[in-house]
Amino acid sequence: MTYRTQFDSELDNLKLNLIRMSDLVIRNITDALHSFINMNSELAERIIKEDKLVNDFEYSIEKECMRIILREQPVAKDLRLITSVLKMITDLERIGDHAVDLSRLTVFMEKSEGNFNLPQIKLMIDVCEEMIRLALDSFVNKDINMAKEVIDKDDLVDDYFEEIKQLVVKAIKENNISADYSIYLMMAAKYLERIGDHAVNLAEWVIFSITGEHQ
Amino acid sequence: MEKVFTIKKLNLKYGEKTALLDINMDIPKNEITALIGPSGCGKSTLLRTLNRMNDLIENCHVKGDIKYEGNDIFSKDFDVIDLRTNVGMVFQKPNPFPMSIFDNVAYGPRCQGVKDKKILQETVIQALKNAALYDEVRDRLKESAKELSGGQQQRLCIARAIAMRPDVILMDEPTSALDPIATAKIEDLILELKQKYTIVIVTHNMQQAARISDNTAFLLMGELIEYDKTDKIFSNPAKAKTEEYITGRFG
Ligand SMILES: Nc1ncnc2c1ncn2[C@@H]1O[C@H](COP(=O)(O)OP(=O)(O)O)[C@@H](O)[C@H]1O
Ligand SMILES: [Mg+2]
Repeated sequence: MTYRTQFDSELDNLKLNLIRMSDLVIRNITDALHSFINMNSELAERIIKEDKLVNDFEYSIEKECMRIILREQPVAKDLRLITSVLKMITDLERIGDHAVDLSRLTVFMEKSEGNFNLPQIKLMIDVCEEMIRLALDSFVNKDINMAKEVIDKDDLVDDYFEEIKQLVVKAIKENNISADYSIYLMMAAKYLERIGDHAVNLAEWVIFSITGEHQ
Repeated sequence: MEKVFTIKKLNLKYGEKTALLDINMDIPKNEITALIGPSGCGKSTLLRTLNRMNDLIENCHVKGDIKYEGNDIFSKDFDVIDLRTNVGMVFQKPNPFPMSIFDNVAYGPRCQGVKDKKILQETVIQALKNAALYDEVRDRLKESAKELSGGQQQRLCIARAIAMRPDVILMDEPTSALDPIATAKIEDLILELKQKYTIVIVTHNMQQAARISDNTAFLLMGELIEYDKTDKIFSNPAKAKTEEYITGRFG
């Protein structure tokens, strides 16, 4: 028999809200990436507006965590879950911010001269997307190995960043890219690299909530 | 880390009923060790075994080994009176003697043969100060202890224990009869006392164990399920049973 059914349903609800927030962030980031690749500024504008919803989620989940801490005085795995959720919403919100950053970039780039296609950007985008999804799946399934996979994948993101940097430098030297574009591309690569870092943070908090150890 | 008590394979029965089963644990010096677990799991029994208070209970059979400062407390030539002087006890309900505040604290030293008025005076005042009670009672030491509030009475009992110059103070749910403010005062006092004494405390209040203790032992039906640093127990216990109990999902 288990007690604290009210508490358990509050925790379930908290997890559900985190999943909802993640879904929203994943959608925004996916759209932002596509808006960036396809230079679709209409899509970009929508994402910029949707970011308010992400912020609202962060606020309400944070409030819910505080309320549970205050009223239920959680310990052990419950405390670890709530601590992890509190940290994860910060990373999710940051990822959401980067979706907005990328969307703004799209709007600028559409207006600016020239174009320069780098397949590495698309590849980097795909890895980032997968990392966020895996991090969330590892949370839902309490799967440490899946979370570790996220952490491993970050090396790939870092490699792409280096590669893009070198390609842009080369293009500048060979006069193949406009000044605007070179900066925009580097900014996009940097945002993606940061998104990868936040996905790693998510995975680390998932591991903490399961094992009690945070690296 | 220095150990005050070393408990090995301790078993205790009341008649046919087992109350403690194969307990192995060390109590470190100058730390606060909390015993937690559901009612009837053997916390008070274990506490009482440490200064052989269970000797006073008929039908109580103890097997196993407890060393206090390296000496076997069950050996024939071990001085039990000495043990109870060194290992004081404070109970759940404050139990001041029906006498003045001063005499309550002076009782122990007098029994130990202290007659010198000045020494008695000093001992009592020092004990009251250490129990964080002196400032509240300095003007009424001759008044009956029964006049004090519950929280003050409990601190008086702690002063009475301190006056015996113990090394260890055992406390059995010392705040369960007190209101939150009196409880907070006793908790502050316990943390203060840790500088000089080793404290073993039984508590029903898990938040209290988490707040004040260094080590926590979780008992269940006479068995020691888990014993570790308090921070570890309350953040990441090793045993599922411990987790169930401290998170309130114990069935
Ligand atoms: N004096 C006694 N005589 C017989 N049984 C006792 C006595 N004291 C305690 N017990 C039994 O031993 C078990 C442990 O009791 P106790 O140590 O008081 O538990 P706790 O302090 O954890 O509530 C209980 O089942 C209790 O009924
Ligand atoms: Mg008891």
